[in-house]
Amino acid sequence: MRRLARALAIAMALGSTGTAQAAEPVQLHAYVGGQQRPDIMRELFAEYMAAHPGVKVTLEVGAASSDLHQKYLNMVLTAKDPTLDVFLIDIVRPAQFAAAGWAEPLDRYLGAERESFMSRFLPGYVAADTIGGHVIALPALADALFLYYRKDLLDRYGAPVPATWEELARTARRIQAGEHDPQLQGVSFQGKAVEGAVCTFLLPYWSLGGEIIRDGRLSFDRAKAEAGLGMWLGLVRDGVAKANISEVATDDTRKEFQAGKVIFAVAWGYAWNHFQQDADSQVAGKVGVARLPAMPGGESVSCMGGWNWAVSAFSRHKPEAVELVRWMARPEVSRELAVRGSFHPAQAAVYEDPQVRQAVPWFHDALPVVASARARPVTAVYKQVSDAIRINTNTVLAGVKTPSEALDEIEQRIARALRR
Amino acid sequence: MSRRLRDRILDPPEHVLAWALLAPALLLVLAVVAWPVARLFANSVMDVRLSQGLPVRFVGLDNYAAVLADPLFWRSVRNTMVIVIATVPGALVVGLALALLANLPFRTRGPIRLALLLPWATPLAFTGLIFAWFFHSEYGLVNDLLARVGAGPRIWFNSPGLTLAAICMATIWKTSSFMALILLAGLQTIPASLYEAAEVDGASRWTQFREITLPMLVPSMLVALIFRTLTAIQSFDIPVSMPGPGEETATLAMYIQQQAVDYLDLGYGSALAVFMFALSMAITSVYLRYVRGGGR
Repeated sequence: MRRLARALAIAMALGSTGTAQAAEPVQLHAYVGGQQRPDIMRELFAEYMAAHPGVKVTLEVGAASSDLHQKYLNMVLTAKDPTLDVFLIDIVRPAQFAAAGWAEPLDRYLGAERESFMSRFLPGYVAADTIGGHVIALPALADALFLYYRKDLLDRYGAPVPATWEELARTARRIQAGEHDPQLQGVSFQGKAVEGAVCTFLLPYWSLGGEIIRDGRLSFDRAKAEAGLGMWLGLVRDGVAKANISEVATDDTRKEFQAGKVIFAVAWGYAWNHFQQDADSQVAGKVGVARLPAMPGGESVSCMGGWNWAVSAFSRHKPEAVELVRWMARPEVSRELAVRGSFHPAQAAVYEDPQVRQAVPWFHDALPVVASARARPVTAVYKQVSDAIRINTNTVLAGVKTPSEALDEIEQRIARALRR
Repeated sequence: MSRRLRDRILDPPEHVLAWALLAPALLLVLAVVAWPVARLFANSVMDVRLSQGLPVRFVGLDNYAAVLADPLFWRSVRNTMVIVIATVPGALVVGLALALLANLPFRTRGPIRLALLLPWATPLAFTGLIFAWFFHSEYGLVNDLLARVGAGPRIWFNSPGLTLAAICMATIWKTSSFMALILLAGLQTIPASLYEAAEVDGASRWTQFREITLPMLVPSMLVALIFRTLTAIQSFDIPVSMPGPGEETATLAMYIQQQAVDYLDLGYGSALAVFMFALSMAITSVYLRYVRGGGR
């Protein structure tokens, strides 16, 4: 009995020291992918902690691809695990996070400020992050697909930057013939069954005015989709793109252009700094960047990319977590990420910032492309939709299926995912 | 404590003792085998889609009906069976050759046996990635060798057939050493006196192999084949690291992973897994019948 009393006394003493240290900092865990410059994020969090002594932010670094990043979050969030408080999610995910109830809606924290707060972001990003009237995430990093080209080669052949894919093919063939280099590819784009292949499929389809999902229903225009796939196949058939384009993933395009083996490349914004600054770059100073070519009779469109801060619905420190993502959405942070990581801001005003204009001068011309880029289908079953498109685009480029067969499967798989 | 109680505890009746000793193993089996399998069957008759925040509901055999009507399921079964049919006998033949080689009485047997185990010790995904590089159309070893003998380069992963062939080669390389290991153990249990007697009777090397080695190896072969077949039905790591065009070479395990893990559609994924379970059970029971039949 006496021993029990002593144990109780010790426990109470410990308990009281616990309450005495109530000012112990709130622990927040943030999760970002390897591609989103964790080194810069860590320094930004350090700055946040200096300004908010009551909060300690620990950074967890995830995978370098969006698919693997999402796989990890799937595991953590289906288990309702509260260990992650805030995370970056790909621009294609908010609908799934909203449907699954994984992201804490932020509008109730923004309250009356909502309109004025959200107005700083580009409208496309606000739309992508707003699901069913709720703000699911705050735009952090913007991105879009651009047409990179070899300025030196185009100048040498007196060719203008192509405005249509047909013109691109003609220019590329002329340069390929003139250079007598069988290794020189006319154009490189993403043909492997990765997320990038979804954009590959959508670029010409969108250019012709097609869409995938409208009001939650499949809205598929076969003629436009067939024309789009036909355009890519034509580039492969004519030797403008290499025969094994079905093996080319997102970063392969970047590496091959950087090695001087490609005239035109369809690539994301991150490629620019590699081309200009990497020690092994064969193309530094010879690179131009422009909006993507259009289909005949269509308009130039780009595919919207980017990452967004979301707060976990299972976090035990939601108010503090929301405070952190609001701080990360400040123009100053966006500027820092642009200057140091060459990430496109999701806020128009930041593009005009003198520091940004000095560090990444081409961003100024990129703003219209980023601002007008289109969002991939917004749906809670995005993964299924993405797989249907990327898998079949890849089989067409590999020559295993005809565009018509591939479109049958795309249609069936998306319809099934939306219905079930 | 009364003396009687102490006796009861120290010297319990047979049946109590039996259950007490069985309990730990039984609980373990219940927790890690029976419970998950029961959950699998339970989920397979439910609509459980975790990514969409929908309520879980009972749907009877709907998932099973959908599986049977799903062309992608049948394609994944076909690909899996191609891998089983090509790699199980393939690994047996290569494994037997390796085992016979390792059983030869030469001096450097130790290092040879060690080298034999190397593929077995290599992680599966690692094997897949290495072979994916071998068969890469631009940077691969295989196309380089083909070019040296004057054959044109092939884009292996643009063709479902060639991709499956590459997957089977990688799988045979990876799994032959396990076969060889079991067969080598079998070889060493064959009494030398049998060969000596055959020698005296004037039997040739080939006759000795056919009449002594092979029949005596049957039990080891059956064990090796059961293990190899079951892992072949579950093929995942190597095919997933060596993707062909689209999903043309997806196996059943890859399809289950896509539905259950990527799409978080646990109902449909569980129904698919039940089919895989049935397939494994069917094949194992064929083998077991063969074993009970005395290997004839």
